[in-house]
Amino acid sequence: MDLPNRPKKNRTLLNISFAAVALLIPLLAGGQEYTLLLFCIIEVYIIAVSGLDIVFGYCGQISLGHAAFYAIGAYGTAILHNTFGLPILLTMILSASLAALIGALLAYPASKLVFHFLSLSTIAFGEIVYQFLIHSPGGITKNFNGLFTQRFSIFGYVFRTNAAWYYFGLICVAVFLGAKYYLVNSKTGRAFTAIRENTHAANGMGINVRKYKVMAFATSAFYTAFAGAMYIHLASYVHPDTFTQRQSVLFLTMLLFGGSGSLLGPIFGVVSVELLIESLRAFQDYQVLIYGVLMLIVIVALPGGLYGGFRDIAILGKGFLKNHSRHRLDKGRE
Amino acid sequence: MLLNLIIAGLVLGSIYGLIALGYSLIYKASGLMSFVQGDIMTVGAYLGLTFYHILKLPFAVSFLLSILCAFFLGMLLEKGVIRKLLNKNVMPIYVVLATIAISYIIQNALMLGYGSITLFYPSVFNVTSVKVWAANIQPEALLCLGTSLVAMVLLHFFMTKTKLGTAMRAAAMDSVAAESCGINVSLSTGITWGLSAGLAAIAGMLLGPMYGVFPILGATIGRKGFSGAVVGGYGNMYGSILGGILLGLLETLVAGYVSSVYKNLFAYIILLIFLFLKPTGIFNERAIQDV
Repeated sequence: MDLPNRPKKNRTLLNISFAAVALLIPLLAGGQEYTLLLFCIIEVYIIAVSGLDIVFGYCGQISLGHAAFYAIGAYGTAILHNTFGLPILLTMILSASLAALIGALLAYPASKLVFHFLSLSTIAFGEIVYQFLIHSPGGITKNFNGLFTQRFSIFGYVFRTNAAWYYFGLICVAVFLGAKYYLVNSKTGRAFTAIRENTHAANGMGINVRKYKVMAFATSAFYTAFAGAMYIHLASYVHPDTFTQRQSVLFLTMLLFGGSGSLLGPIFGVVSVELLIESLRAFQDYQVLIYGVLMLIVIVALPGGLYGGFRDIAILGKGFLKNHSRHRLDKGRE
Repeated sequence: MLLNLIIAGLVLGSIYGLIALGYSLIYKASGLMSFVQGDIMTVGAYLGLTFYHILKLPFAVSFLLSILCAFFLGMLLEKGVIRKLLNKNVMPIYVVLATIAISYIIQNALMLGYGSITLFYPSVFNVTSVKVWAANIQPEALLCLGTSLVAMVLLHFFMTKTKLGTAMRAAAMDSVAAESCGINVSLSTGITWGLSAGLAAIAGMLLGPMYGVFPILGATIGRKGFSGAVVGGYGNMYGSILGGILLGLLETLVAGYVSSVYKNLFAYIILLIFLFLKPTGIFNERAIQDV
């Protein structure tokens, strides 16, 4: 969440500089397609991880199966477009809505489960979706062959360069982050936070815990599925192995690395983890090993995430010696 | 056909049972979920292969050695990582992620050390099949059934009849009260993690001669083991064994009679059904619900 004591003007300045940097990235990349592609993927992940943040960071509910929603979005849009010829943007929204519906159906019975058992149910859900992808009835997902999509176009405009796609992605990020900002500052968002801080107290205050948990899951599924839909139209090909449990863990790692329960946390997390993984590409064989070790180091050494760390330094710098935010992050969800 | 399937189901079920037993012990002792259990099983299988095939030790000796190694690995895990995190008072999700990170490290390290191809144990017995009624059974399958049964009975006596086992149960039940009775809670939690790892290593040593050994051998079995633990009642020793065996039997029968394509789906569907409808499992282990 945002700093309570930071002056308003400062934040506007920060936002403007962020927007300026984001707009200038295609120019800075100087026509290097691969670098731009990396930033496009970062945009996709920012939306996916922001979605996870709604359910985990704000509502305090764990999910280790978000790759399933990511898959539903990706396969949904491709199958709807290839079979029925619907406009791509419409299929992206339709498949994300489908994922939100499935998320709600999953969350309704799962909402009574606590932490560990909720994570088990999401793992099971993720595995079921993955098994469905590789053994689909009638082969609608093309199983292990993977699924191709047609060239990405919106309202007749065909996206030919990564730079064009980048700006499309930037609009999506702005829309989704804006929506998230309004959501978390609304009555619903406050109900989410209340559930995270103390479920029983929230219940006692008249908050319908199950309803809000279902809402959080559905919204989160919509975000992540839309990101999946963006991903398939960026890569124009998907393989089921993109949607294993490892992807769900990656989302969660990015979120925790950046810092959960904030707007900027997911951005920090996605950019740093993605750049890190990219720099490990040279050590192909050791990639997972190094990734695991780094994950462990971050978990043990920096449990507040990068954003939490920055924020603590900022707060200390401003003379607030009482380490209020870190305390909340560490003790919040026990 | 049916008898063959039942024996295959029991074999797989006893493996799930051993893994689920480890989950339950850990959950009872520290209220945590460990995602490395399956990978410790793989480590056990590779250790066994190293001792038995490469160092040419007798099977029984390599069996015990690999259990011992896994025991210390489990204790090291608890003392080196989990305890450190708990002392820092972090969110529980970090402990889950830490165990997932360790499982990645183990999988990748095994792949680098042994290669990603499937390695096979030399056969443990001289005969290739034993006749049980009308069915021809691999002797390794009978070894697996017998050994896991013995391991479970031994564990039962250890937990109920010995002083250390009683102390461990007391520490799991109420750590403050146990501490004030003079029980070393930290040590007994460590031993619990070690025991769970040892059980996983037993499963690996028993499964290895039948399935061959590869770096992600335990990953799937570890995940399905959760299903067994929940079916029996998460945290209940006997429930886990029963749940694991039931799961193995049903899964094998489904694969044999219905469809082998959806074999892998079955465990997760059962897991969801039990979590949603009867989260306390068959043995009605203490409520795990919220609100």
